[in-house]
Amino acid sequence: MAVHEKIKLILLVDDDIDLLEQNKIIIESKGFKVITAESGEEAWKTFQEIKPDAVIADLIMEHHDSGFVLCHKIKRSEHGKNIPTYILTSATYDTGFKFGVTTKEEKEWIKCDGILNKPVVIDELLSKMESYYEN
Amino acid sequence: MQNSKPHILIVDDEKGLRVGTHRLLESEGYIVQSAENGLTGIKYGTEREFDLAIIDLKMPDVDGLEVLQKIKKVFPFTVCFIATAFASYDTAIEATRIGAYGYIPKPFTPEELIYQIEKGYKHRKLLLESERLKKEKEESLLEIASEKSRLKTILESISDGVLVVNKSGEVVYYNNASLKLLGFDEIKIGQQILGNLPEEINEKINRYLQPDSVVNKSRTVQIELNHNSQVFIEAVCSPVLHTDGSFAGVVIVLKNITEFKKIEFIKNQFVSMVAHELKAPVAAVSGFIKLILDKSFNISNEQQEDYLRRSGVRLNGLLDLVNDLLDISRMETKTKQREIEDLDIKEIILNTLQFLEIDIKNKNIKVDINFEDNIPSLKADQNEITRLFTNIFSNAIKYNRTDGSIKVSLSIDKNYLKIKISDTGIGMRPEDKDRMFNEFFRAKNKFTQNISGTGLGLSIVKRIIDSYYGKIDVESEYNVGSTFTIYLPIILPQAGELTTNYVGVQNVTNRNY
Repeated sequence: MAVHEKIKLILLVDDDIDLLEQNKIIIESKGFKVITAESGEEAWKTFQEIKPDAVIADLIMEHHDSGFVLCHKIKRSEHGKNIPTYILTSATYDTGFKFGVTTKEEKEWIKCDGILNKPVVIDELLSKMESYYEN
Repeated sequence: MQNSKPHILIVDDEKGLRVGTHRLLESEGYIVQSAENGLTGIKYGTEREFDLAIIDLKMPDVDGLEVLQKIKKVFPFTVCFIATAFASYDTAIEATRIGAYGYIPKPFTPEELIYQIEKGYKHRKLLLESERLKKEKEESLLEIASEKSRLKTILESISDGVLVVNKSGEVVYYNNASLKLLGFDEIKIGQQILGNLPEEINEKINRYLQPDSVVNKSRTVQIELNHNSQVFIEAVCSPVLHTDGSFAGVVIVLKNITEFKKIEFIKNQFVSMVAHELKAPVAAVSGFIKLILDKSFNISNEQQEDYLRRSGVRLNGLLDLVNDLLDISRMETKTKQREIEDLDIKEIILNTLQFLEIDIKNKNIKVDINFEDNIPSLKADQNEITRLFTNIFSNAIKYNRTDGSIKVSLSIDKNYLKIKISDTGIGMRPEDKDRMFNEFFRAKNKFTQNISGTGLGLSIVKRIIDSYYGKIDVESEYNVGSTFTIYLPIILPQAGELTTNYVGVQNVTNRNY
C-alpha cells in the first residue's frame, strides 16, 4: 500500500488514556508504529522530537481547542506542513458542535487535513491518508 | 330658574304700563321683577339670569338698546324683547342686530304679549338645549382626543414594536420601537412597506393578503437581524378585522428576543457538552469490548482482565455523571421541595468524613479537625448540605497526595458559619482557578489524568452555596494544595426579605475576610 511507504510513524494524541491505548492497538494492527501523547502540550514536544509521518489528535484535551492549537503549530512547522494531520473527536455535527473543514472559512481557521469521528474507523483513516498523497 | 315658572324682567319708566304688565304676567304664572328705569334694569338683569326681559326702548336715563346690550353681555341666553310706541323699521332692525329676540309695539293687548312671551320662552329653551348639546359635543371630542393621545402614549412607551399595514401593504401606524427593532431610520404613513420588511415577515403578511387567505389566526416568525449588532426578533402578525369581520389589514408586533436566544444557546451548548461527556465513557467501554471480542488483536488474558476492570471504572464514572446531572436538573427545576430544618453542621461534617473513611485510609491521609465551641445550628436542607460537603471532601481526598493531610475548621464570622477545608493536594494553576466552578471543567495535567471525575462536583457545590446566599472562596497553589472557605448564613433570608437582605449579604461577603 502506498500509504505505508509514506507513513511509518504516527503520533496519536488523546487525553483519554483508555481510548488512546485502544486506538494505538487498532492502528498498529495495520502495520504502523504509533507513539502516544496525552495532552496538546506533550504532543507538541513529542512531535518535535520524533518527527512523525502523520498526526492524529483529539480536540478537547487540557483546553477546549487543544487539538486545533496543536494542528496550527504543526502546520506552521517546517516538518509538519507536509504531513497529514487529523483531528479526532466526538464533538462534531452529531453532538451539536458545528464544525468541519469544508467551508472556506473553516479551512482558513482549522489547520488540519480532516476531521475523524470517534471511535476511529480504521478504514476511514487509511483512505483519508491515501487521498492525502493522491492530491 | 325653574321650567314651570319662567322669570321675567320688565324694564319700563312708564308706571302704568309697567305695573299692568307685571300683574298680567304674574297672573299667568310667571315670576316677575320690574325696574322703573334703565339703570335699575341693568342692575337687575345682570345680577341674576332671567329667562326673559321686556325692555322699553325710550327711557330718560339709559336707552333700552343699551340695557339690552349690557344684559346680553352677562347672560347671552336671556331672551329680550324691545317694547316701544315709536315703532320704526330701523329701530327694529337695530334691536335685532344687537341681540333682541322680538319687537313688541306699544300699546299691546294681553293676548299679543302672552303670545310673544310664550314664543320667546320656547326659543330660550331651544337655545339652552342647543348650548347643552354643543358643550356635550365639545366634551366628548375632548375625550376622544385624550383617549387617542393616551393610546398613542402607551404604544410609544412599550418596548415592543407595533406596525400596522392596510390590505394594500401600506403603513397606517407604527411606533418608535418598531423603527428601532427593524433598524429603519424612518417610516412614512402611507408608505408601501412590504418590499422593505425582512423577507420572513413579508411572507407572513403576504399570506393574509391572498384572496383565499384564512385570516383568523396569528402567525409568528423569529428572525435574526444584523443592523449594528446581532439581534433576534420575534414578529407576531395578526389580522385586523372590521366590525363586520372583513379583512382590514395586518398588525405586526415585534419583540426583541435576543436575551432569550442567548439563554437558548447556552442551554444547547450545555446539552452538547453533556452529550460529549456521556459519549466518552461509552466509547471507551465499547472500545475495550471490541478489542476483547475481535480475536485478531490477540489480547492476552491478563490484558483482557485489565480492560474489563477499566471498563468497570468508566461505567462507574458514567453513573456518577448521570447522578450529578440529575442533581443539577433537580436544582434547576426545583422539582424537589427543600426541607429546611435545624442542622448540626459538626455532625454533618463528621458523618461525611466517616462515609469517606475508606478513601482516607487508602491514601493514609491525616484529618485535622478544629471546631469552635457554641456553633449555632444551620437552617438548611440536610441532603443539600451533605452533598456539598461530600463533594468538597471527596475532592480534598481524590486530589490529595498519599500521606497528605486535610484540615477542617468551623467558626462563626458575623452572621455566617465559616467552614475552612485545606488539603495538601495538587492545587490549581491560576488559569484553572477561574474555570473551576464551570460545568465539566476539569483541570487536565499529569497529576489529574488518572483521577476520575464528572466535572460537575464543584459546579454543584457552587449552586448549593449560591442558593443559600452563601459564598465560597478558594486559595490554591499548584502542587502545594488548596483551601476552600465556605460561608453559609446562619439565618436564611425569608422570601419577602430576600431583596434587602440579599444586598446586605452581598456587601458583607464582598469584603475581604
